[in-house]
Amino acid sequence: MAGLSNLKQCPPFSALSDPSFRPNYTTELSSYPKIHLKSELHNSSAQCFYGGQGFVPVNEGVLKRIIRTFFEGGFWESLAETRSQTTREQAPWLGRTGDYISQLLGIATSLKLKVFPHAQDVSADRIAEFVETRDWSDSDVRFMAWNCHIFKLAVAGIDDVVRIYTKNTNAATTVLKSATQTQITCMAWRPLSATEIVIGCSQGLCFWVVDNTMILGRTNAPSQIFKHPAKLPITSLQWNKEGNLLATASIGDRSIIIWQPDSGRMEALKRLGPPGSLLKWSPGNDWLFAGTVDRVFRVWNCHNHWSTERWTVGNVGHVQSACWSPCGRFLLFVSTTEPILYRLQFVRQTMLKSAKDEKEVLPIADLNACSIDENKSLIGGPVQQLAWDPRGNYLVITFKSTNHISIFRTFITKYDLQISASFYLSGETASEYPSFVCFQPLYKDDDQTVLTIAWSSGRIQYYAFD
Amino acid sequence: MSHLSTINACKLLLFRRCLQAVLLTVGIQFVLLTIFLLFVNFQLLRPLHWITSTLSLVCSFYTWFASIPLIGAVVLYGVILCQQHLAERSYCASRFRWLVHYGPRKLLFLGAHLLVGCLTAWLYTGYMHTDYRHLWYRCYGQECISAYHVYLLGMGIFAGCYYFVSVHMRQEVEIEFPIVNYCWGEKLRELLYSSMARSLFKSLVPTLAYTLLFWLFGRVVCHRLSHLLAVDLDERLEGFFGVATNGRLLFYGWLLTAQILSNMHLMRCFYSMFLSEEFPLAVTKNRAPFVQEKEVTVVAALGLTNDYVVQCLAAKYLHNLVTTGDVEKRAELFQLTEPGNRPANWRALCDQCLTLLGSFTDELIDSMQKISVLKGSPSSPPLAPISDSVSASLMAERVLTRQYNQMHGIRPMVSPGRNALIDRPVDSIRRVPNWCERASMQMEQSIQLLINRVPGIVYLFTEPEGAKTTFLLTHSLTLVYVVQALSQICVLSLKEDEFGVVQNDLPDIIKAISRLKGELDKLSSVASNLRGPGSSFSVLRGAVRRSLFHICISFGDYIGDLIPSREELHQLQTLLNQE
Repeated sequence: MAGLSNLKQCPPFSALSDPSFRPNYTTELSSYPKIHLKSELHNSSAQCFYGGQGFVPVNEGVLKRIIRTFFEGGFWESLAETRSQTTREQAPWLGRTGDYISQLLGIATSLKLKVFPHAQDVSADRIAEFVETRDWSDSDVRFMAWNCHIFKLAVAGIDDVVRIYTKNTNAATTVLKSATQTQITCMAWRPLSATEIVIGCSQGLCFWVVDNTMILGRTNAPSQIFKHPAKLPITSLQWNKEGNLLATASIGDRSIIIWQPDSGRMEALKRLGPPGSLLKWSPGNDWLFAGTVDRVFRVWNCHNHWSTERWTVGNVGHVQSACWSPCGRFLLFVSTTEPILYRLQFVRQTMLKSAKDEKEVLPIADLNACSIDENKSLIGGPVQQLAWDPRGNYLVITFKSTNHISIFRTFITKYDLQISASFYLSGETASEYPSFVCFQPLYKDDDQTVLTIAWSSGRIQYYAFD
Repeated sequence: MSHLSTINACKLLLFRRCLQAVLLTVGIQFVLLTIFLLFVNFQLLRPLHWITSTLSLVCSFYTWFASIPLIGAVVLYGVILCQQHLAERSYCASRFRWLVHYGPRKLLFLGAHLLVGCLTAWLYTGYMHTDYRHLWYRCYGQECISAYHVYLLGMGIFAGCYYFVSVHMRQEVEIEFPIVNYCWGEKLRELLYSSMARSLFKSLVPTLAYTLLFWLFGRVVCHRLSHLLAVDLDERLEGFFGVATNGRLLFYGWLLTAQILSNMHLMRCFYSMFLSEEFPLAVTKNRAPFVQEKEVTVVAALGLTNDYVVQCLAAKYLHNLVTTGDVEKRAELFQLTEPGNRPANWRALCDQCLTLLGSFTDELIDSMQKISVLKGSPSSPPLAPISDSVSASLMAERVLTRQYNQMHGIRPMVSPGRNALIDRPVDSIRRVPNWCERASMQMEQSIQLLINRVPGIVYLFTEPEGAKTTFLLTHSLTLVYVVQALSQICVLSLKEDEFGVVQNDLPDIIKAISRLKGELDKLSSVASNLRGPGSSFSVLRGAVRRSLFHICISFGDYIGDLIPSREELHQLQTLLNQE
């Protein structure tokens, strides 16, 4: 590890002497929308209030209530209703029956878990373990996504509302909210479209069309809703570059599903192994990286009959985050167990092409925590998220337990990738940490590279690189 | 390569693929039989014996000989399926025409379904318990017809009929390109797993329905058969409980239905799978003299308008070439001829694609004229001239209301006759028909009214609203790929077209796609009311919108130079800045 790039070389942003390495604050950023989600979360229009809540509850019989719950919420909710205190008081025998059924189902579930250890319940805590957003359960910002072609930033909040910001600060913020859209884990604007966005949540996929026909900046319902075949939450999604295929993964399902939303068709990429958690499509659509909830990850070759290569990280843990280089030749990833940045190369270095192209995983940066100033504040440790800028010059890394963002300079050549620690960024206060980061796509060739940071305080910051 | 030889080359290739599909369907019969036998002969305590006995049964001479009729039926089924795939897709305006055109073919296909179902049941009953194996058996010293066997044979026929009605009766067989293009073995494995598992559930309803029918009419059928064969009647399946309590029979029936349904589903998928495999096409036409051309070019294949499958395959090939293909192969598109320095490849491809786009849009516009409630359609009646007798403010109000109604597709509650009478301009000289003409017109109208009142006449002989549009949209897969490929070529030309061969055609391409987009946007308000093409419409509209957006966003700075018309330019800019 001695030769690896590490965070000790990382000077603070304020101490940078070489102006070429210092990011510039430009006037361009002043026209960006100023977002502080915390204040917007208190706005009444964004409160989670859905139709059914407006009605006054009425007294109804036990059986009627249980049957109604069954039809409204399904089997598990009706079982919970059967075992509730109210039911026990009104009909003790029903409560006892519910207990017996619950015990029986518990035995069956424990047996199933022994056979399929990954088939656990997909709770919010479990989702938080595998998504790229830090402290997802309590974070004000759960996800951010930039439109690929025009200036539109979608921000998903803890209130299950997605707000769309544009450059025009006078225009009302478009709000996407629906009762069918809770616990948002991921979203993505559709490529080659200015208006379509898909949101991955507990209920599946919600497709919205955000155009100027939306009355008062809101629409009532998604244009389409696709549920996971096993009614599981979607934890990761990615469009291909043509915008006709959408790949989704769920931490409860071993298959990766490839949707063709226009025709409503889908096909599953099936392999034995743990359920999928993270998807990243390479920029040229040649490869699809698929992380799982266990140490296994796969890279699918989309142009060669969807053949797959299987890799593992260490003995325990899983791939926490991954990103492709803009050229699509390098994949960087980190696991939850060790703070080492690895690279996987997708280009042959040899002159002679062998029949079987062996790839190699190489460690390229040591991200172990180290102190960076006199106050002994730390940077590094287990990684939360990776983001590579669209020009391939900067790699941004956020951490699970330390609050600074480290910026690495990257130099991509045809057969090699070099990386060196450049500087780090901090929040306004010592306790402020980055929840989610992403780069704005380049809309024109001369556009600046802008990093968007959602801080734990709900503040969204834009950072322009040279 | 001449048009005729292109057709022959394509047909030969497709014929080979169909042959492969036939061979596979024949082979799969033995796999299905093995699975059935594994189910039927299941022995928990002697697993080795169970497997060996099953395999020896499958490999026995009896099986090979007994399965000949079924294989014959499967080949016949395959030939009909293949013919349906490769037949020219023609539009039938009325239901009567559809019956005349497709009726005999559908009847033949129904016959093939019944034959496959019946022969599968006959073959499989041969491996069941002795009681179920033969059509007659000895009861009380006399020959009796076996109701069990009749039940199972009927089950086979019913399952074949059920599959035909639910899948093939109204719908045409369609080629479906897979989303995930697995390798051949994986595709086969996935298909086997999914169809076997799904058919186990899907066969529950037909099994129960048939059992109910057998309880109601089984006795009559058995009675007729016993008369016909001069044997005694079997009374084992009489009454409701006789049928409902025979678990083994119901299990056999369910398993048989599942096998037949999965068999037919597999056959359908195999043909679709083989036919949708990538077509080996060439981009460059071989221009060397005295050279025997063997390769079919993309342009030639796209031009085969009467062969829908070949057109789809060519369009798909083009799409793959420009989205995933290698740069060298793609460079052929932008190549200049030597000698001559003419962009012959691009010229031919562009002309062919624009012709396809143009003719489709024209046909779509024509078909849309027949949809009465289409918003802003040219088919809407033109505004009537304003009469002098009505005040200006009242007239203005009426005109505004009419414009509003037309814009939002609101039809008048009352027939426009009275208003039309008021608004109709008075001609100074008008020809009055003589009594003979009047009488004949009245008679014609009354006969027409009378005929229309006869039940079924309108249903059979008139064209349903939007039928042509539905037909066009259902067969628009070629256009989906062509439009996407064309836009991708335009975008790639920025980097790869070193001679600038594409740039002259950019305005035409943008206009053609924009025109189609305009028509599809008009259609979007009524698309949900049309029967059938929901997903085809969404796929086409999405592809067209994205393709146009792709071109516009890539040529953002030059779009004003490409499109001189201000109105068209405004439309494109609206597409880009939908904020």
